[in-house]
Amino acid sequence: MAEQSPCTDMAPVDDILSSYPREEASLIQVLQDVQRVYNYLPCEALTRVSEVLGVPLAKVFSVSTFYKAFSIEPQGKVTVKVCMGTACHIRGAPQLVDELSRTLGIAPGETTPDLEFTLKTVNCVGACAMAPVMIVGETYHGNAMPAKVSSYLGKKGVTDEN
Amino acid sequence: MPKLTIDGKSVEVREGAFVLEAARKAGVDIPTLCHHEAVEPWGGCRLCMVDVTFDHWDGWYKCVAACLYPVAEGLIVKTRTERVMNVRKVVLDLLLARSPETPLIQKLAAEHGIKQTSFVPNDEPTDCILCGLCTRICDHLGISAISAVDRGIGREIAPPFHEPPPDCIGCLACAEICPTDHIKYKTNDFTREIWGKSFEMLRCSRCGKAHITVAQADFFAGRNGVPRSYFELCDECKRKEHADLFARLGGSP
Amino acid sequence: MRTEGIARFEALKEEAQARVAARKREILVCCGTGCRARGALELADRFADEVTKRGLEASVGLYTKRVGCHGCCEQGPLVIVSPDDVLYAKVRKAHVSKILDAVVAGEVVEKLLYKDPDSGERIAHVADIPFYKYQTKYVLRNVGKIDPTDIHDALAHGAYQGVVKALFEMTPEEVIEEVRISGLRGRGGAGFATARKWAACRKAEGSPKYVLCNGDEGDPGAFEDASLMEGDPHAVLEGMIIGAYAVGSSEGYIYVRDEYPVAVKHLQRAIDQARELGLLGEDILGSGVSFDIRISRGGGAFVCGESSALMRSIEGKVGEPRAKYVHATDRGLWDRPTVLNNVETWATIGKLIVEGGATFASMGTEKSKGTKAFTLVGKVKNTGLIELPMGTTLRHIVFDIGGGMPKGRSFKAVQTGGPSGGCVPADLLDAPVDYEVLTEAGSMMGSGGMIVMDDRTCMVNVARYFLNFLIEESCGKCVPCREGLKQMQLMYDDILEGRADPDILDRIEALSAGMKVGSLCDLGRSAPNPVLSTLRHFRAEYEAHIQEHRCPAGVCRELTAFEILDNCDGCHLCVPACPTSAISGKPKTLHTLDQDLCISCGACFDVCPTGAIRHFPKRELKERNAHAETDH
Repeated sequence: MAEQSPCTDMAPVDDILSSYPREEASLIQVLQDVQRVYNYLPCEALTRVSEVLGVPLAKVFSVSTFYKAFSIEPQGKVTVKVCMGTACHIRGAPQLVDELSRTLGIAPGETTPDLEFTLKTVNCVGACAMAPVMIVGETYHGNAMPAKVSSYLGKKGVTDEN
Repeated sequence: MPKLTIDGKSVEVREGAFVLEAARKAGVDIPTLCHHEAVEPWGGCRLCMVDVTFDHWDGWYKCVAACLYPVAEGLIVKTRTERVMNVRKVVLDLLLARSPETPLIQKLAAEHGIKQTSFVPNDEPTDCILCGLCTRICDHLGISAISAVDRGIGREIAPPFHEPPPDCIGCLACAEICPTDHIKYKTNDFTREIWGKSFEMLRCSRCGKAHITVAQADFFAGRNGVPRSYFELCDECKRKEHADLFARLGGSP
Repeated sequence: MRTEGIARFEALKEEAQARVAARKREILVCCGTGCRARGALELADRFADEVTKRGLEASVGLYTKRVGCHGCCEQGPLVIVSPDDVLYAKVRKAHVSKILDAVVAGEVVEKLLYKDPDSGERIAHVADIPFYKYQTKYVLRNVGKIDPTDIHDALAHGAYQGVVKALFEMTPEEVIEEVRISGLRGRGGAGFATARKWAACRKAEGSPKYVLCNGDEGDPGAFEDASLMEGDPHAVLEGMIIGAYAVGSSEGYIYVRDEYPVAVKHLQRAIDQARELGLLGEDILGSGVSFDIRISRGGGAFVCGESSALMRSIEGKVGEPRAKYVHATDRGLWDRPTVLNNVETWATIGKLIVEGGATFASMGTEKSKGTKAFTLVGKVKNTGLIELPMGTTLRHIVFDIGGGMPKGRSFKAVQTGGPSGGCVPADLLDAPVDYEVLTEAGSMMGSGGMIVMDDRTCMVNVARYFLNFLIEESCGKCVPCREGLKQMQLMYDDILEGRADPDILDRIEALSAGMKVGSLCDLGRSAPNPVLSTLRHFRAEYEAHIQEHRCPAGVCRELTAFEILDNCDGCHLCVPACPTSAISGKPKTLHTLDQDLCISCGACFDVCPTGAIRHFPKRELKERNAHAETDH
């Protein structure tokens, strides 16, 4: 398993836990909030969640690894997502993935060694008319072209038009 | 008590039973892999598929898992139709590709006419067929130390974080229920090791043999309200003690 | 109680209408996900700022609104001026001033109007645009018209009228009967008769009963559920309240996939506002009926669109389906009687109750009544969100509404039903869209995604695409799906990389049969559909790959090479398109392609305007090289 720096500050986790009923049904929502705060699911957090919700640790771990919204390893500062929906696929998403892989030096699902970028392929984001779509951080790039990949990675706060 | 027909044989079985139980009562053999009397049926291996119908379905059959399909009055079950046998072959062919070196799978596959898998064999053969029996018995016992991790073809049985499981009590139920003996453990009178975790054995205060782990004793004592002292003797010595006690009470010489 | 309840609602409606009474005109800025990705939010802000600066609300009663998907996504960002029904397309912040000038003057800005992709004609009114004029809005009635974050706007447009009628003028049995008359079938894809499901749950024993909304819309290419949740969340709530009344439930959940944060936001806001007005929660409008809704977010798993997996996910567990020999209407969520319906099904109910089921049933075909929302995407001129009566032909959808094939390419297939569906080829274009017809064609209705494919789509590659998708999404519980998908993918690798054995198609078909019958849930059972449908309609393409190591569409990289022909006029368009800089040449001179750098992506071929690039089997290149070596 990847090295995790010991995450000593459990206050955010306790905060999150206090806003949900203490039952198994809260598990996925709690983990989503934890993922948002830490950008991954630290093992100490999962242990605390298990204790407070009364769900066995093994089951918490199952849920953490089953759903793709969660990562048990630290993610890069910026997540680059390429939509792999059908419309995007036939309009060239695989070429985008290849080019991003080449440029960042990592395969989809991986994070650059300097923890700057995580590359992910994701399911249809619902912007099919602008296929192929890639998302850098929160910025959508529609009709994305492999030749422009470096510029998408460089400019993080600008949409492709306006 | 619903009455149903299995391969032409009539059988009556209790309300709430599943087809598999009725088949066994009728003496009809349906192969299974993920089924075990100690736990609830799961329907994951897909080996026990059978074709079922009712008179009023006008000849339309449904292919279902016998371990989970509820019996009903007038149910007609066929356990060896062409499509059932095909599914069993595909399941065993696929499992043989996953676990080409596992004797149980080799045997079952051979019984269905498959000597070698027609698919691409696993380049990392494993005995684990992901039947889930280990995690299901662990859950059933209220321990839940291990679970199925990840999903799809990456699915595997593992302790949390792939580290020695904090909740495991070393009871060996998982190893014992595993149909392919995939789960390995070491045990002697002093220590036990399973899932990378070491346990101190609890030795019988009378005969000195170790019968369970300290963790097991603590767990069951805590949960069932049984006094911890109950576990100080192994079962055999407990029986001997009782026998002695009765002898004393009965006043035998 | 009845008169009070109705009176209370009328008062709410009056207040809502009063709030919008001052609005003579509205600028409706589309803020669906597609337009958002093109800067719609900033555009909406610019409109709002300008209108405020010019004092137009007070002076001419002109308001701006952020609304849901206008539908013609290819031309976004979209803005509609209401009630004039004027559509502006590809609107940028720089255009805002001009548009406002025109609206105030009662004119239009000609060069910002929608431009027909074929005739080049500028068309001002929505009702005259082919993309729109053939549509029938029923479930999408308020999407693009209302501000989804304002319940008053929704009320002013008729929201919750169905709740009032159901709760105060109908018995639960009458509600179910009205749904039965309508012939409404589940819009998630399976098409199960909605009234039958509700009746079964009403009859079932157990409590509490649950009413669930499946907002997991996992089919890639489909976004009509997203558009409804984002653009008209009140329609969804309204349907669920009516359904809860019909079956006797007081607790509901809307399960929204993790990838739809805007839908979650808009739904939550709608729920909060509905509660405030007494339309949700304890004793709705004083009717004695209590029903409340919570949102449950998915964790990123397509399999959670399957009903039993969805319920496990709400319970906080992994999304592993279970046998459905006992129906969810008897034992579903937490083993209680449960009704699960799709977003679109729920959003239909409100209007259905108000107008009566017979009106809905007057549209569509004999077995598939009413209308259906679709998302038309892929290789087609007008991509976007549409709604049509069942029975409309695929040809009408692709060519009349969709505007046909862009870039002069030819139609090859339309894929429906997502990863559980199949490809419908050109000779079936006159098939009416209907549950049974699509199933017979080897596909299925699915949630509504229609992906148009042209001759630059390789059907073997498409089948492989869906296999890749399903491998990532399989839960892994059962052998046929988990192991079968992996082996199927390996067989497709062999085909796409030119090393398949001659009997591979037989082996693919045998494995498909095993998966169809043996898998535990519909993900595994329908996983072979894209494989089987492409085999059925495009077998020759498979055979070219297997026997000739050739990809007729020029897509499969291991089998395809590209080269520039003599008629290249040096327009230079291919050079920036190439991701590996494999093409060189001075403008206006013959360009050359370096085979050592070429990765066979085909970007140059697709961009070349003169047909000066051709694709050919890679083995010819290898043979050429071999000859070249022996010649030396």
